[in-house]
Amino acid sequence: MVTIPEGPFTMGQGKQPPHGPERRLFLKSFQIDQSEVTNEEFKEQFPNYRFRKGATQHPKTKVSWYEAKQYCEKVGGRLPTEPEWEKAARGASGSVYPWGDRKPKKLPHPFYSGVVKKNVGSSKTDVSSYGIHDMAGSVWEWTDDSQGSLKIIRGGLWNHHLDFEYSKAFEKATIPPGERLSFLGFRCVRSME
Amino acid sequence: MRPFNGINRRSFLVRAFAFCAALVQGWWGRLGSAQADTDYFTGTDFVGKTRVGKFKQFYINYWKPLRRIKAEDWTLEIGGLCESPHTFTLDEIKKLPAHTQTTRMKCVECWSAKAEWSGFHFSELMKLCPPQPEATGVVFHCGDVYKEHLSLEDLSHPRTLLVTQMDGAPLSDEHGFPLRVIVPSKYGYKNPKAIVKIEYVSELQYGTWSKIGPYSPDGTILPGTDHPLDLGKTPHRISGGEIKDY
Repeated sequence: MVTIPEGPFTMGQGKQPPHGPERRLFLKSFQIDQSEVTNEEFKEQFPNYRFRKGATQHPKTKVSWYEAKQYCEKVGGRLPTEPEWEKAARGASGSVYPWGDRKPKKLPHPFYSGVVKKNVGSSKTDVSSYGIHDMAGSVWEWTDDSQGSLKIIRGGLWNHHLDFEYSKAFEKATIPPGERLSFLGFRCVRSME
Repeated sequence: MRPFNGINRRSFLVRAFAFCAALVQGWWGRLGSAQADTDYFTGTDFVGKTRVGKFKQFYINYWKPLRRIKAEDWTLEIGGLCESPHTFTLDEIKKLPAHTQTTRMKCVECWSAKAEWSGFHFSELMKLCPPQPEATGVVFHCGDVYKEHLSLEDLSHPRTLLVTQMDGAPLSDEHGFPLRVIVPSKYGYKNPKAIVKIEYVSELQYGTWSKIGPYSPDGTILPGTDHPLDLGKTPHRISGGEIKDY
């Protein structure tokens, strides 16, 4: 895990929902997984879990919010809140993407309709100022926060279909907590006393 | 070959190829558009891709034109890795416990359309024709020679239906008479129509579109933008998975 230092950060963008209002918040220090939880890590906690060959270091997906929460608790953590996730992605400066404010010119996987999974942490670009990997790409991630009966997810995809327009660090979406979807994984955090 | 006006043999060939490719692309684009906008099938024994008349509100895609299926001739064969292969008639299928739900179908080509669908859960067929232990999914074989694979996990989802009715009436030929699948969390190409055979299989198999095009065999609807036909194609942000917001 990586320690995110105590201090202020920028959350949201613009004045209106779904991204706004933009505001400055203060968070105490916390620790967050450097990368999304992998198939291999998930299997260590749930030995009956099976995944295909060659996908050991791929992010664990098709996981419900309840299963993700259970995993994090087993390893002594919890799912991140939205502010924790966004601070880890944007850094104290509040950049649009984890790497800065400009989107890359090259789309990762043009002309493909699905999720393209890679080993977590393999993108050299998709790294936040705190050294956290894959917060714009790889897969979307569950958070602990809710909107009504739905859970808020954060992140983006390595996928042309959406391009980087949908990988901004303040992007969010909502999903029923029981759903298991191929584009949705998670990472854990720990509070620091 | 000596360069002429700065153009050598290599660059001449490259430019000629690009010119020909542009011509073919323009011609093919117009042909594709004409295919969708022309009513080839009304009043014929065949059904196929169309976007005319009422189908402007719910586009119809078929892999190939097919002869309209007659109810009295149709049977559903269930086989493959099955404990007890069986062939059903339409009357037998209609007697399975019915369930109705409203679902928006989202096409990978950006549009979507909503309807009320009635049918039965796949678990009802599994009771009558249980899969062998090694089966993990099924391949649907369709009247237009289209094939699509769905996992048993996806087929066991409470929102997945095998459908015989749409908006309170039997499925039309265009919408897949007499039997189709509705998987609300997947793009339209994972919702096969005019099913004639269900085959239990032990491994993921690429469906027709996934074999020939850039379509993922998983087919889950991803976060992005939808252009619903019933809402004037105005852009709507979607979270991924089943669209329930509108």
